Amino acid sequence: MNWSAIKWHILRQDWGLTLAMLALAVAGVSFIYSAGFQHVDLPVSAMYQRQILWVLVGLVGYITLAMTDYRQVAGAAWWIYGVSLGLLMLVLFVGRQVHGASRWLSLFNIQVQPSEFAKLGVLLVVARYWARVDLDPDHPGHLAAALALAGAPFILIARQPDLGTAMTLWAIALVIIFVGGVRFKWLLVLGLVGLLLMPVAWVSLGNYQRERIRVFLDADRDPFGAGWNKIQSQIAVGSGGLTGKGYLQGTQNVLGYLPRTVAPTDFIYSVIAEEKGFAGSATMLVLYGIILTAGIRGAWVARDRLGRYIAAGITGLIFFHVFVNVAMTIGLMPITGLPLPLMSYGGSFMVSTMLALGLLQSIIIRRGRRF
Amino acid sequence: MALAFVFLGVMLWRIQVVHGERYRDDELRQSVRRVRLPGMRGRLYDRHGIVLADNRPGHHIAVYLEELRRPGGWVRTVDHLELQLDTWAQELNVERELSRTDIEMHIRRRLPMPLIAWRDIDERTLGRWAERLAGIRGVDIYTEAVRVYPHNELFAHVLGYVGRADAEPDPEEPFHYYLPEMTGRSGLERRYDTLMRADAGARLVRVDAVGYRHADLAFREPGAGYDVQTTLDHRVQEAARRALEGEPGSVVVLDPRTGDVLALVSEPAFDPNAFIPAITSARWQALLDDPRRPLIHRPVAGTYAPGSIFKPVVAIAALENNLATPDAVFYCPGHFELGRARFHCWNRRGHGSLNMRQSLERSCNVYYYRLALQIGYPAIYHMARALGLGQRTGIDLDHEVSGLLPDDAWKRRTFNDAWRDGDTVNLSIGQGPITVTPLQMAVVAAALANGGPVPRPRLVRGQRPFGDGAFAPRDPEPLRPMNWSAAAIATVRGGMRDVIMGERGTARTSSLPGVVYAAKTGTAEFGPKDEGRKHAWMIAFAPYDNPRYAIALMVDDGLSGGQTAGPKVQRLLSELLQVQGGGS
Repeated sequence: MNWSAIKWHILRQDWGLTLAMLALAVAGVSFIYSAGFQHVDLPVSAMYQRQILWVLVGLVGYITLAMTDYRQVAGAAWWIYGVSLGLLMLVLFVGRQVHGASRWLSLFNIQVQPSEFAKLGVLLVVARYWARVDLDPDHPGHLAAALALAGAPFILIARQPDLGTAMTLWAIALVIIFVGGVRFKWLLVLGLVGLLLMPVAWVSLGNYQRERIRVFLDADRDPFGAGWNKIQSQIAVGSGGLTGKGYLQGTQNVLGYLPRTVAPTDFIYSVIAEEKGFAGSATMLVLYGIILTAGIRGAWVARDRLGRYIAAGITGLIFFHVFVNVAMTIGLMPITGLPLPLMSYGGSFMVSTMLALGLLQSIIIRRGRRF
Repeated sequence: MALAFVFLGVMLWRIQVVHGERYRDDELRQSVRRVRLPGMRGRLYDRHGIVLADNRPGHHIAVYLEELRRPGGWVRTVDHLELQLDTWAQELNVERELSRTDIEMHIRRRLPMPLIAWRDIDERTLGRWAERLAGIRGVDIYTEAVRVYPHNELFAHVLGYVGRADAEPDPEEPFHYYLPEMTGRSGLERRYDTLMRADAGARLVRVDAVGYRHADLAFREPGAGYDVQTTLDHRVQEAARRALEGEPGSVVVLDPRTGDVLALVSEPAFDPNAFIPAITSARWQALLDDPRRPLIHRPVAGTYAPGSIFKPVVAIAALENNLATPDAVFYCPGHFELGRARFHCWNRRGHGSLNMRQSLERSCNVYYYRLALQIGYPAIYHMARALGLGQRTGIDLDHEVSGLLPDDAWKRRTFNDAWRDGDTVNLSIGQGPITVTPLQMAVVAAALANGGPVPRPRLVRGQRPFGDGAFAPRDPEPLRPMNWSAAAIATVRGGMRDVIMGERGTARTSSLPGVVYAAKTGTAEFGPKDEGRKHAWMIAFAPYDNPRYAIALMVDDGLSGGQTAGPKVQRLLSELLQVQGGGS
């Protein structure tokens, strides 16, 4: 690739997307440091260093994908999908158990979470399928096929069990189908089926999952376990006030009321809310807003349907994660264990998120219309 | 999507700015404290409702680490706590109990739980606490049930004791917060731990900087375990222990009709209360080093050569296999020659000619040498096996052992040698490699008392929810039938009756006026020959008709069954039958 091509890429990119992403990643690392800061005598303190490494790895992926034509990437969709399905199967058999769930695979001493990459696989495969020339978005068979593509990895991930991540697959597939112009009638039918399936789902849920939903509905049901996290997270967020207590000053966080195992991962947002107050937490929302705007823009300006669907799927994915996680942190939703994109501690998720955003950038760079 | 974000923003504004003050208040005085509410561990009773293991309230001084947390590394909190502990110790006028390691260990392993700084404090300390320290941030009184064994040493081995439950550290799952404070470590406490254990409950209270409790936020009811009714009889146990007169040994008393264990005595004993809440290492070491070995539960975990109490087994084996009749007569000149080896009778002058019933009465060795050689060892082996020797009885205790019933295969395995006539001769009088537990011999005595059916010993007869009404009874296991012929069992029982009642019985001096009972003495040599040490045994059942008691009594180191064990059984039975005189 010669210099003028690189220049073309740099100039046509969506600067908002890149900058907001970097800002969020930097903020994530700083607050992971804050969450681990007090535990100098515990392994948590090394988390931020590892997170920096993951950000760098993710950035390489981001740039690579932004420079690559997304159609080329989508060409490998079935490969990516197939490999991630295989890895998910592998997880079920030889996965590493952490707290009763096996989600990780050990590769050269690095813990990889295949479900994160399965999201990308589903995204690409469903988008590609829905963008086929001969596809009739109103044909129930085609609709069923698209849903089945998300269903296979859904079952595998739900068995781990990791229901939160599994649910994101539906979010991705539904957004793509919706943007692809499915008839309202079918969406209604889907909604109805979903409602009817809820009792079935309740029965098939694991005990701890049911318990979590009950904890949410009956706020103080298990105030010493999952409820404790919720109460403490709410206190952390609430006590942040308008401007917060200052970096490294969050007492909820530093004094360990917020359990040290979840503060840097699922509850990173409450660390920010406590230490930086409404100003900080709202800023984070604005940054996510910028990324989502870029996503919508990508879906709008994409030169073909494939690009539009991929951009829409990515937007749905990011939105789902952010909304569920923030809502959980401030006590509006059950505790699902869904991490916050670009901020929560975790390598697989960081890299897969940045890869997705690289794909989005690639769509924007190769946009058709002016916008 | 934009709407959703606006919604999140509004909610954030509401929580952080509008209601921020309220949360800041909560947080400032943090605030929320998890208070453990201990559950009630089920109690152990004897068959008449006397409490054998009970709970009493114990007051501890507990430290709530989250309220004492200092910013920065845990080291700073530990430093701070150490200073505080010294101050408090001075105020309370007690020694500091927690070392720095204890604190660090607690932080690593049991962080969400209160850290107990002083365990089971006395009334005076409690008073000083109320005067000076009540209301200090981060410490409070923590009350829990403490196990207590009101009969001290009497039931030591069979009840066992409890110890502190140690949860595996798993910070993600605070469920071990509900684990009971104590778990059974040995004896019935251990075997029925899951039945008696009681999960702790908890209360979430909001406290302020001076420890004032503002409100209960949440509550989870503590659990309660099941009360367990044992088959033990407090009075029988006491009489049995008294009968041993402090000499190391075992007493087992069974109800032959059901297998109910009425008494299970192991002497010397220890005080299980010494293990509550935890035994000091000095005391533990003393128990371990004691040459009298008080920690061994002799009747179920001790194995001994049975000696002559094995003879009834040989007799019944001969009769039941039609290899000999009750009229089989052998002549005893006082010794027996097998090849070039000479086996003596305990009576060197010889017993003369004896039939089978007389051979039991007078415990003639030569008779059994000859009888055993005539019938062959497999018949003896199979009868002993059917009576439960060489295998665990299945009593509800974890540390039971099986003893050893040797056979040809065992001998080949162990000595690479075939079974020989000499082995049969040894086995016939319960010597050689054979070992049994006193409990096994009590079961044999019960089978002879019943005229066949073998009971399976059991220690628990009922259970009920904590403190709630009558015990729901458990059915005893059905007896295992032996289908002995009436003539055979009459001969063996008659011989054992003569041991006490006959003119030449080896334990005729142990008879009781107005009572007909049956027994068999045994004197088993152990240890190096020149030391001449002997286990003194007696198995017995009483009354002779419709027996209610089957007894195995053994003194570790005695003169002989007749001289040492007999009088003890006599004393025990005199108490039991008097006690039982009123009926019941």
